Amino acid sequence: MLKEVNSEEFKELAGKGLVLADFFSTTCGPCKMLAFVLKDVEKEFGDDLTILKVDFDQNKELTAEYGVSGYPTLILLKDGTEMKRLQGLQQKPVIVNMVKKHI
Amino acid sequence: MSVNYIFEKHLIDRQAEAEEAMLKEFEAGNYTIQNPLVKYNLYEVSPLSAVICFETKKEVAVSVTVLGKTKEANIGHTFPKAKKHVLPIVGLYSNYSNKVEIRAYRGESNVITIDVPDVYDGENPIYHMKTTPEYLQDNVIMVSPAGLQLSSAFDYAGDARWHMNVACVFDIKRLRNGNLIMGTHRLLKMPYYMSGLYEISPCGKVYKEFRLPGGYHHDEFEMEDGNLLVLTDDLESDTVEDMCVLIDRNTGEILKTWDYKKFLNPETVSHSGSWSEEDWFHNNAVWYDKNTNSLTFSGRHIDSMVNIDFDSGELNWIIGDPAGWPQDMVDKYFFKPIGSNFGWQYEQHANVITPNGDVMCFDNHHYGCKQVDQATKNLAAKDNYSRGVRYRINTEDMTIEQVWEYGKDRGAEFFSPYICNVEYYNEGHYMIHSGGIAYDKDGNPSEALGAFVKDVGGTCRSITVEVCDGKVMLDLEVPGNYYRAEKLKLYSDGINLELGKGQVLGVMGHTKEFDTDIPMENSGEMLPESCNARIEEEIDRFTFFSRFEKGQMVMMLLEQGEEVHRYFISTTAVSYLAMCCGTFLDSDERNTRTSVNKTGLSGVYDVRVIIDDKKYETGVKITC
Repeated sequence: MLKEVNSEEFKELAGKGLVLADFFSTTCGPCKMLAFVLKDVEKEFGDDLTILKVDFDQNKELTAEYGVSGYPTLILLKDGTEMKRLQGLQQKPVIVNMVKKHI
Repeated sequence: MSVNYIFEKHLIDRQAEAEEAMLKEFEAGNYTIQNPLVKYNLYEVSPLSAVICFETKKEVAVSVTVLGKTKEANIGHTFPKAKKHVLPIVGLYSNYSNKVEIRAYRGESNVITIDVPDVYDGENPIYHMKTTPEYLQDNVIMVSPAGLQLSSAFDYAGDARWHMNVACVFDIKRLRNGNLIMGTHRLLKMPYYMSGLYEISPCGKVYKEFRLPGGYHHDEFEMEDGNLLVLTDDLESDTVEDMCVLIDRNTGEILKTWDYKKFLNPETVSHSGSWSEEDWFHNNAVWYDKNTNSLTFSGRHIDSMVNIDFDSGELNWIIGDPAGWPQDMVDKYFFKPIGSNFGWQYEQHANVITPNGDVMCFDNHHYGCKQVDQATKNLAAKDNYSRGVRYRINTEDMTIEQVWEYGKDRGAEFFSPYICNVEYYNEGHYMIHSGGIAYDKDGNPSEALGAFVKDVGGTCRSITVEVCDGKVMLDLEVPGNYYRAEKLKLYSDGINLELGKGQVLGVMGHTKEFDTDIPMENSGEMLPESCNARIEEEIDRFTFFSRFEKGQMVMMLLEQGEEVHRYFISTTAVSYLAMCCGTFLDSDERNTRTSVNKTGLSGVYDVRVIIDDKKYETGVKITC
């Protein structure tokens, strides 16, 4: 599943299974590119991975709670616990390898 | 056409054409000592040089002397006997009507004039040089770029006597044959990864370009057999500045590779204050020690100097503050300090092994502690210092003693958070180059790296000191930051100028592509004029320069039928924690440059560009 969420939805979904949080901004070129990459990543994992997109500028409290200072930032959560964090635009194999290690 | 296109010949080709034309002119004329052919800056990159040609009736040795503003500032050389003389003139003054004496051995002489324009465009390249002609003699102190100021060399009086007008960045060293080795001016990848190295004469003639698949950064080292150790990258890797190669001096072939991830685990190293996941090691120096057949690498982002066996690549020891390292690593590889006056180095540069096995470096002392201790021990620039330091190590009982330092007492005025070097000349005789000093707009010592100082209205400078038995023998202060300093004579006892076309050796690597496709039809529209785009093609690559607005999603495509190669172009400002060379940073952050090597590509490609939701034409085709 790939879904853009607000803070409430994020908190509801982040603690369930393997979640990849994408903190993005609509004013960021690499974030736009990462959106295409994440669509490919979604196809790779299907229901095994939930991808939650969080608008950095619209969810300040959430970004502060997760210590996100820039975008794009990817945080991989397993049952709500942070497993790995990647900053900046990433290629699909990097993200896929990261997820596979924790699946 | 909205995209300008030029094909730029390689510097070596241009130099060969200029040299050939000069030799034709020489052959066609009647040039004598009294009437020599003079070619100012023949090789186009060394504007304080010239080449003169003349014939003598007999084979005779000839001395040339650039007459100094004082007698002690003369720079000259005697060349072997010949009838046809093609001689390099180096050590000319900028903005000056230079007098050059040509004198045949026991024969005639002449003084010619070579007028040189102001190569510094009205800027003064120096604050002061304090030394004596007896100490410096006809040596110069050469400084290499870390910012907008390009390479220069200064004599005892503080006059610039050598300069390069292209950005050959990072280290400059003299090779045993008399030539210089330095980074090329061909930028492979931002912020400062260059195509390789030039073996070059002080008069600017490039004999060889050693191209490397992963490019060049920071440092190189000439082995006893002439082969070169070069710091490079693995362009396919997600990390940078953690690889070294040994290359064949004659062919440019890579003979051996050291990948630092094989002897250190990036996941468990202890971080310096400037650490990042991509640039986890930040290798800024390599040194080969024949006595122990080992390599020592300086890793700024782990606050450590790491020694490995040359043959096996196995880790021998690590010099650095052990805080934050795994205990088993500390127990096995780290040293225990002894003696009353000891301090660890932080974010150091330019490690050197002395003849007796001591380890020297420039201790930038940035942060004054490791990242794990920053909450309690961090030193601000105003309270910090940098220094040259020499450690004596005992690899039997794993103890370390500090046996010399210079700079700590000077405090913040000598503090450089990045770059710099030390040189060992003899026991007690050293150079300490603090080339990364910065002040904020209010004149307070700053931690800002040189490339970013001007953004906050500050200034930067470099101080180079030579000490002999504790006494300061030379003190050079120049505006701007300079990566390293090197003392040498402009003329050497080896090659000073060799005629003939230079060689382009080695290979360029495959430029990393972006895997993900953005499905989009061709719009048929040309790239907007507002992009101010241009493409510069060379023999082995091309570079796309263009301006985009912040936040735009941009991808350059090379398309040939169904074959597509994708190169993502970031339009987001990057926050760099390391910027050892800010020479290539653009003052307008909207301007981008993307270089693609032709390696791995074949045929004729259309260059197209996606900006957000539209694919544009450039009208340019690249043949690979």
